[in-house]
Amino acid sequence: MTPILEAHDLALAFKGVRALNGVSFTVNPGDFFAVIGPNGAGKTSLLNVLSGLYRPQQGTVRFLGEDLSGVSPQERARRGLGRTFQNLELFRGMSVLDNVKLGAELAMGAYSALTPDTRKEWAIRRWAEEVLDYLHLAPHRHKHAGALPYGLQKRVEVARALAGKPKLLLLDEPMAGLSLEEKQDLARFLLDARREWGVTMVLVEHDLKAVLELSTGVLVMSYGEVLYLGEPGGVRDNPRVAEAYLGRSA
Amino acid sequence: MLFRLSQTLTDRWSRTFARTVRATYRQDEAYASTPMGRFWLWVALALLLLLPLLLPPYPMYVVVLIAIAAVGALGLHLLVGGAGQISLGHAAFLGIGAYTASHLAGPLAVVGILLGGVLAGLIGVVLGLPSLRIKGAYLAIATLALQFLADYVFKRWEAVTGGIRGRTLPPAEFLGIPLPGADALWYLVLLFAIPLFFYAKRLLSTRAGRLWYAVRDNDLSARLSGVDLTRAKLTAFAVSAFYAGIAGGLLANLYKSITPENFVLTFSIQYLAMVIVGGAGTVLGAVLGATFVVLIPEVLNAIVGAFGPQFAPSFAAWRNVVFGVLILMFLILEPLGLVGLWGRIRDYFRTWPLPY
Repeated sequence: MTPILEAHDLALAFKGVRALNGVSFTVNPGDFFAVIGPNGAGKTSLLNVLSGLYRPQQGTVRFLGEDLSGVSPQERARRGLGRTFQNLELFRGMSVLDNVKLGAELAMGAYSALTPDTRKEWAIRRWAEEVLDYLHLAPHRHKHAGALPYGLQKRVEVARALAGKPKLLLLDEPMAGLSLEEKQDLARFLLDARREWGVTMVLVEHDLKAVLELSTGVLVMSYGEVLYLGEPGGVRDNPRVAEAYLGRSA
Repeated sequence: MLFRLSQTLTDRWSRTFARTVRATYRQDEAYASTPMGRFWLWVALALLLLLPLLLPPYPMYVVVLIAIAAVGALGLHLLVGGAGQISLGHAAFLGIGAYTASHLAGPLAVVGILLGGVLAGLIGVVLGLPSLRIKGAYLAIATLALQFLADYVFKRWEAVTGGIRGRTLPPAEFLGIPLPGADALWYLVLLFAIPLFFYAKRLLSTRAGRLWYAVRDNDLSARLSGVDLTRAKLTAFAVSAFYAGIAGGLLANLYKSITPENFVLTFSIQYLAMVIVGGAGTVLGAVLGATFVVLIPEVLNAIVGAFGPQFAPSFAAWRNVVFGVLILMFLILEPLGLVGLWGRIRDYFRTWPLPY
């Protein structure tokens, strides 16, 4: 089985602050891979390197076996690398439906924008409605995304990313700020999407309990370094993790 | 029996004509999908065609001006309201369209106007280039530079533009039919304005609109959703300039004489005012805004006329002030613009006589 994502020896520094230092890991198809670590550990920097917003000073990212260096963020998205953000980055002035439709274009094939293609538009609409239905967003389809409550906005962002039928979805703290009920809903949506649409996921999360229950593989980071990489079962017993992340002295 | 019949009839009536529910996705997206909507659309189109028969010459001339301004405002609306980019150089594109049309006038008017649009669109791509690097007020200044550059070229490139004396055009013709006055030219304007109106509407409700709105709302997310920012912005500038070029060509055929004075900065700002007063967000807003901005000076002139000719010189100076105050009042009192106003009037009558 070829890995879907291979990060090799990534290093990123901002004027002396080492955000990433020799980070390597592999994600296989069907994984639910979690990245955890205390604040400032470099988790979001890692996702930004993977989606092409930051250029690492060292190391390579391979996606579906191809080297991604020099590939623009939009091209990475088109190749099937989806992304959601920690702080919502929705198209606030667009309706929920249009947000999801924009994502759906990635999956349904774009056409030349100046010659509207009715058949493609219908295909996009039908698929967008399927995704909306799936995430229980259908009643909100015509509302402005920016006017929805926080929990729903988070779900719209996941919907927009899933509508693009990504092969790999990078989720940056999708559960932060949600109530327990919303977290459970979202976890179910994500697991279903992984099972039914075969979306591999890389998830940055603070909720350690959720991560240990859901994930198939865990990467623990601290100050840009890898503390632990492996099965979720081994995280709690690892002395280095316990010291850095859980605050207990080993 | 009779009861059954009447019941069937009323049922049929309400199902076919009084339908207000959009039951399918297709109806949800279609333009004027309800029978009433379609009915009013046809009434409006018929009214537009009959307008020259109903109006005296001068009001008709003003209506033609409004329609031309609406085409230009539509273009700017796609850029400002759609892609969220600002341009103070819209008049330059009208000028490019107008001067191009002045070389292909008379029997070739339609070709000249179209070519003017295309040429303006190409130069629009060039104006779009700074938008790839800069935003907001900085972009406004960059587009301002184009406005001044165009003004300079219009005045100095005498071989093509006739310098400050400008150029004159013979009356336009369409398929051999001469279109001497405003009421005849009206049909040429409609020939361009109606398709361009629906095209703008269609663009905004399909992929182009989504790309532009995405660029406007959040360029980071847009990139990570696979949107090519460069392409989306440049298309917006090109389409916007194309509309302006068409409007300029029509204007040249209406005025029959154009000088650089017709395409100065004030003109660009007037177009921005149309978009703002009309209310960002809808195509109808651009049309309402154009109507408002063109009509205001006319109304003010009429008021001065009523007071007597001795007030005319002093009032001319005050006209711009009144104009400015009206626009400010709009921004403060009705930020949604005329479209917002129209929406509230419509809702009032929809629920009339019970307000809730």
